[in-house]
Amino acid sequence: MDETATVETTDAGPVTGGDWNPVERLILERRSVRNFKDKQVPEYMVRRMLEAARFAPSAGNAQPWKFVVIRDKEIIDEMERDIVRWCKIFKFFIDWRTSPLGRRAAWLLSQISIRVKSNQLHPIPFGAICLIAEGKLGAFHGAPTVILLLEDRRGVSRPQVDIGCCGQNMVLAANSMGLGTCWIGFVELLKYGLKWRRRFGVEFPYRFCEAIVVGFPVGDPNGMIEREVMEVDWYEDGGKKAVVQGRNDGTA
Amino acid sequence: MALLSWRERLTVPTYDNPDYATTGRLAIDHDRCNGCGVCAQICPGKAISIRGEGKARRAWLDDDFPQCMSCNDCAAICERDALRVVVAYDFGYYYKKLNRGEFTLPYKY
Repeated sequence: MDETATVETTDAGPVTGGDWNPVERLILERRSVRNFKDKQVPEYMVRRMLEAARFAPSAGNAQPWKFVVIRDKEIIDEMERDIVRWCKIFKFFIDWRTSPLGRRAAWLLSQISIRVKSNQLHPIPFGAICLIAEGKLGAFHGAPTVILLLEDRRGVSRPQVDIGCCGQNMVLAANSMGLGTCWIGFVELLKYGLKWRRRFGVEFPYRFCEAIVVGFPVGDPNGMIEREVMEVDWYEDGGKKAVVQGRNDGTA
Repeated sequence: MALLSWRERLTVPTYDNPDYATTGRLAIDHDRCNGCGVCAQICPGKAISIRGEGKARRAWLDDDFPQCMSCNDCAAICERDALRVVVAYDFGYYYKKLNRGEFTLPYKY
């Protein structure tokens, strides 16, 4: 018998300070993958991912999603080209460092656009738009399989949260099979223009939301890493305490 | 005290201006790094470049925006444990980060 296993758990369940269980370890070691082997993912693995997604929690059990699996290199390349084109267009107007409109005009345009689209033009995606437009960063990272997660806008309360839940199920299932995944928010750009909406039949109530690319990773991208500790407010026994997650603060 | 003052809420930082923005910072151990370039390949911000020739090839953090988003994917993929994020990005003002502290590994409770 594995002796450590008896040390880590009792009949009442896991003990404090015990080793990670397999699910925790998978969650903690999973990293996004942006460099894939040329090899296609076997169909049954994608089916298993989709099956994991089907059993994700959703508000009111509305399951407000539709999956589109794309395993055709030509289609993926064409989507990539169009995403690059849109990034170039945005970069033309709002990247004040390189815009032909001039630094001042582009800076003003960017200030207005960032206020209107504060999530989409957060500094990180803003930087990514520039990198994709310059051809330095791939949109789909050369993955052989792309799964679009379309959002059904008639879902209960916040359908995008449900998309996140089912996507995480898929990502973790994929990781457990030795696959690598990465969330690709830039597919949202395909909503501009009619081309891809017609091609994929994305009409009301569906809309582009996210995509997950899947493939076999190059090297071993998984592993535990450091992240910032996080403050958590904790109400208990008639009082409030500030808990700092991620370290031994003597309260746990 | 509000979490963000009205001035912060209304000010969009200029992303490439170091007066507004702190970008992610890496600690790269050049004794361990062999310049294999895997980190530069997978970096989502393309913030790492490989400089030098032959045996002197090493990974370096680039200084221009766009930059390190402190995801630590490079630390996870590096076989030689040569680099890790030590400072998280924070663009300040409207995008000021809240409730975050120093970097640590997962803690066993």
